Amino acid sequence: MAPVAPRSGDVIFANVERVNAELFTLTYGAIVRQLLTDLEEVDEVNKQLDQMGYNIGVRLIDEFLAKSNVSRCVDFKETAEVIAKVGLKMFLGITATVTNWDVEGTTCSLILEDNPLVDFVELPDTCQGLNYCNILSGVVRGALEMVSMKTEVTWLRDMLRGDDAFELQLKLLKQVPEEYPYKDDE
Amino acid sequence: MAAIYSLYIINKSGGLIFCKDYGSAGKMDTNDSLRLASLWHSMHAISQQLSPVNGCAGIELLQADTFDLHCFQSLTGTKFFVVCEPGTLHMESLLKYIYELYTDYVLKNPFYEMEMPIRCELFDINLSQAVQKDRVALLGR
Amino acid sequence: MISVGKIKQYTNVLERPLSKGKQEVSLSAFAFLFSELVQYNQTQVDNITELERRLEDAGYAVGARILELLCHREKGNRRETRLLGILSFVHSTVWKVLFGKVADSLEKGTEHEDEYMISEKELLVNRFISIPKDMGAFNCGAFVAGIVRGVLENAGFPAVVTAHFVPVEGQHRPRTTILIKFAEEVLRREATLG
Repeated sequence: MAPVAPRSGDVIFANVERVNAELFTLTYGAIVRQLLTDLEEVDEVNKQLDQMGYNIGVRLIDEFLAKSNVSRCVDFKETAEVIAKVGLKMFLGITATVTNWDVEGTTCSLILEDNPLVDFVELPDTCQGLNYCNILSGVVRGALEMVSMKTEVTWLRDMLRGDDAFELQLKLLKQVPEEYPYKDDE
Repeated sequence: MAAIYSLYIINKSGGLIFCKDYGSAGKMDTNDSLRLASLWHSMHAISQQLSPVNGCAGIELLQADTFDLHCFQSLTGTKFFVVCEPGTLHMESLLKYIYELYTDYVLKNPFYEMEMPIRCELFDINLSQAVQKDRVALLGR
Repeated sequence: MISVGKIKQYTNVLERPLSKGKQEVSLSAFAFLFSELVQYNQTQVDNITELERRLEDAGYAVGARILELLCHREKGNRRETRLLGILSFVHSTVWKVLFGKVADSLEKGTEHEDEYMISEKELLVNRFISIPKDMGAFNCGAFVAGIVRGVLENAGFPAVVTAHFVPVEGQHRPRTTILIKFAEEVLRREATLG
């Protein structure tokens, strides 16, 4: 089958069914509130949000692949660009810019232009340690793991914590190649 | 318009998670289906190693006297393959479409556990619609 | 105010202009989020009734907030005082904002004076969800029931709200009915208003 060209994030987003971002934002708020009630400790909530994001990521990646026609990325630089320009756009309707590459090309930052998770949100004093958007870092981590990349994804800057932008750091730890099940030395 | 005999979905470990017979002459029992899935998973992996070309993604089409077998493997390792009458058209499109149905009605189902057998009513319903002959022709557009 | 891309930084969230409600995300993003909400709650309960209650509670918070938002944005802070007014508000305005369309139908219950039903062929939240046979009549629409209760209660119309699958003749898939049972005080007040 002739390879199909990858589709742009804008085109995909325009062609998928969309919902009012407020439903999404408010539902996420309800989730965070539930976790704060159940777990009480902000650190535990941060961990749980990341885990929930991971659970979503391992499922969401297939839809990303199916709709975007992206084939295996040549290198991590391409991966980051694809997340910023296609992934975030087709699911959340936002774009991000990729910056701050390290020399090895394994660490970079995604600066989000917008963030539908945080509309109307202000962190109360009791929750100052909360990484409200941790679900998003989990999603990226889970999605990449399913295509053989082990990564560390962390928030460097968070506007809810008083910073001037939403900056997500992507760090490639290990590229895990597909296992050939019949290795002779096993 | 030729006929589809059966459809299989294998998870990335080679486990059979979905199997549907479309009234082919020889129906297989569960154990045979499991064995077939496991065998195909192995053959697919071996073919990638045997390939003289670098970066081979595995078998996409197997043509035999009495059937064709089309296979699609996602980058996540899940394989979708269909066994059909020789010469049946539009099977690649069908497999890609079934992949999308999987991303909708299986992966978005909170009651579906990853890698486990698929038991999602909405997936079955939409799949049946997709496999109907006139629908398959439309996919070839 | 510091401007970074589209996001302006205000010192106080209350000073930020209310969004016009036009921003969108993909249905998939919502569906995955909702699926995770259900999955998380499944780990916190022992039975289906508890799961329903937790989903309803999660929806309640959404309902309370959407009421505030809509009252300010669409109704100029006018308050509904009549039963049919608030029901119409839920069936049309709330539904349109949250789900992109008005609800399929709004009906008064035939057997009880205090019951009303909002029905949908298929709730948006259930679009990709297949309930396993061993979960019986469980409906993830409990979340939507919670939203409706959140709106009604905070508008001064306390009610018990539940979601039910209702088989439809000639159709394989049942539709969903949100059953609203108003508290006594609501009906009494409605009667005095004439």
